[in-house]
Amino acid sequence: MKTFKLLQTLSETAGPSGLEHEIADVVADVWQPYVDTITRDRVGNLIAIKYGEGPEPRPRILLAAHMDEIALMVKQILSHQGNGFLRVTNVGGVDVRHLYGQTVVVHGKRALPGVLGSLPPHMLPPDRQDRPFGYEELVVDVGLSLAEVETAVSVGDFISFRQPLRKLQGKQVTGKALDNRASLTAVTLCLEYLQKRAHTWDVIAVATCQEETRLLGAYASAHSQRPDTAVAIDVTFGKGPGANGENVFDLGDGPVLDIGPNVHPGMFNALKDAAKALEMKVHVGTHNRASGTDAFGLQIARDGIPTGLVSIPLRYMHTMVEVVDLTDLERSGRLLGEFIARLDDKFLQTLSDGMMEKGDSKR
Amino acid sequence: MNDLIKKLVEAYGPSGFEDHMRDLIRPEVEPYVDEMSVDALGNLITLKKGDGSGLKVMIAAHMDEIGVMVTHITKEGFLRFTNIGGVRPHGLWGSRVQFANGVIGMIGSDRIDDRSKIHPLSKHYIDVGATSAEDCPVGVGDAAGFVQPFFTNGKLLTSKTMDDRIGCVVAIEALKRLETTPHDVYFVFSVQEEVGTRGAEAAANGIDPDVGIALDVTITGDVPECPPMSVSLGKGAAIKVKDSGMIAHAGLVRLMRQRAEAANIAHQMEVLDGGSTDARSIQIANGGAAAGCISIPCRYVHSQSETVHADDVQACIDLLVEILSKPIEL
Repeated sequence: MKTFKLLQTLSETAGPSGLEHEIADVVADVWQPYVDTITRDRVGNLIAIKYGEGPEPRPRILLAAHMDEIALMVKQILSHQGNGFLRVTNVGGVDVRHLYGQTVVVHGKRALPGVLGSLPPHMLPPDRQDRPFGYEELVVDVGLSLAEVETAVSVGDFISFRQPLRKLQGKQVTGKALDNRASLTAVTLCLEYLQKRAHTWDVIAVATCQEETRLLGAYASAHSQRPDTAVAIDVTFGKGPGANGENVFDLGDGPVLDIGPNVHPGMFNALKDAAKALEMKVHVGTHNRASGTDAFGLQIARDGIPTGLVSIPLRYMHTMVEVVDLTDLERSGRLLGEFIARLDDKFLQTLSDGMMEKGDSKR
Repeated sequence: MNDLIKKLVEAYGPSGFEDHMRDLIRPEVEPYVDEMSVDALGNLITLKKGDGSGLKVMIAAHMDEIGVMVTHITKEGFLRFTNIGGVRPHGLWGSRVQFANGVIGMIGSDRIDDRSKIHPLSKHYIDVGATSAEDCPVGVGDAAGFVQPFFTNGKLLTSKTMDDRIGCVVAIEALKRLETTPHDVYFVFSVQEEVGTRGAEAAANGIDPDVGIALDVTITGDVPECPPMSVSLGKGAAIKVKDSGMIAHAGLVRLMRQRAEAANIAHQMEVLDGGSTDARSIQIANGGAAAGCISIPCRYVHSQSETVHADDVQACIDLLVEILSKPIEL
């Protein structure tokens, strides 16, 4: 119940890439009880620090979970018989196939509820029946006259999707922006876990901005915070009909630990050891190049940061009916907490020693 | 101002070969700045100091232009070439290019059998009047820019390199008018924008600004059958909200808009689907900067007849001065 409430608060808050102030306010409120400082940087990251109990100077680990979500933006205001309609474009990787019929909020001078409309099937010529509407065929309708629209809305205003978080059966829930509010929930649960479990390292929890567009928050925060290690937390593909191949994972069967050139093997091993200590089932995801997450930006900041990646399985990514299993969020939070609690003053040395070892991987 | 525009837009300076442009711009800005330097990539970095109460602001306008580079010389003395930046094969045939040493060549193409198709760049060549590889006055690796005189048609200003020499003009004119500023303002005349906004990235890493503003052209949606776009020529400075490379800092966008409204400067909001500017590099350099862009609306971008409106140029100068002469609260 508590996890649902937490995810609900985060998921239902608007936070288009580039307009993260609302979601940042909410995350700040949620994290406040668990951390020592909260600041915002000049690109829009929310940065919270929980000090460790080790002697100064303490090593620092950065947790990055992005708070931004895919969204739309007003591109043109159209006039039709005295009414105003909005042509839009995408902010981040919006799947145009499902836009028709969605409900939205236009972040104009005031917040305006609206719908994404186009022609109903009855009115479409036969050759247009079988393909989704493109941006040039869709409009956002806020129900106002042209004059009223022009007063309240301008080109460049952000549009976020509206969708309440709903329970499915068992522990599965569905809603919007679970990419990546599911991971923000996990980071919150990790911070809560660390209230009761001592840790020597400083923990820098970052709700990053603009991941969906260019990993901006990861690059910027890793540069400014100079952590010794970092972990990105993001969603990955859940198993379902048609999605059964490699690198897709059962919902509710535990977090996914990623390995590949985007992840430091020592971080992977340490996360795995933490899971073992918790007797928690985890899965292994692989990438042969970029992971498509904040880990890609974190890894090459400054003189390089040993980076890990924890992923939460999710179905129907980048739609308004993304599905996750709450137990995966809870386990990911516990795993991150335990991993951090186990970090000691020898850990960094272990990372570099591990890279120099010859022979078979210890995995 | 047209004299300055003419001087800059007719000059040679493909990406990576901006020395001549730098020499042209340096004397224009020297009397107005406190410090001036050239970094390892060739960026001309100038500083106008503030009174200590403001932020560190980086203004970027790029000196480079799109062009071509010789890849091979045939035994008959014709030059095959590749692109520097976004050169499209449309409209290449019959155009003229000039090399750093002043040599001018005409562009021809291999035989055209199907007039419904356009030859790729690789089937074009440059004719500099040579008869063999031996008597050819330019070599492999030499770069050329297009040749077109600046011309005006009422308030419409046309040249081969409004992108982004007109941005350089906006920067220079704003600098001339900016008497005092609270901010340490770095006016950067950047290199290699057309090949991936690379000069500005290095400059921003070095300067580490709080705020970054690029001055560059943007396309318009006011010509026949163009994709939907709400920017029009003559309707004022375009305040960029988003392009395909970045989303501008929401607070900076708000500030630009408020300043334009308060000072009665014609302006329009810009959402661009394709293309980006130096601001994208400034945004992500170091710990990140609040980045935005003042765009000069321009028709026929990356053609040899890039066209801007004199009133828009003036509006961009006015807006930049308005922003830089007062405190910036984001």
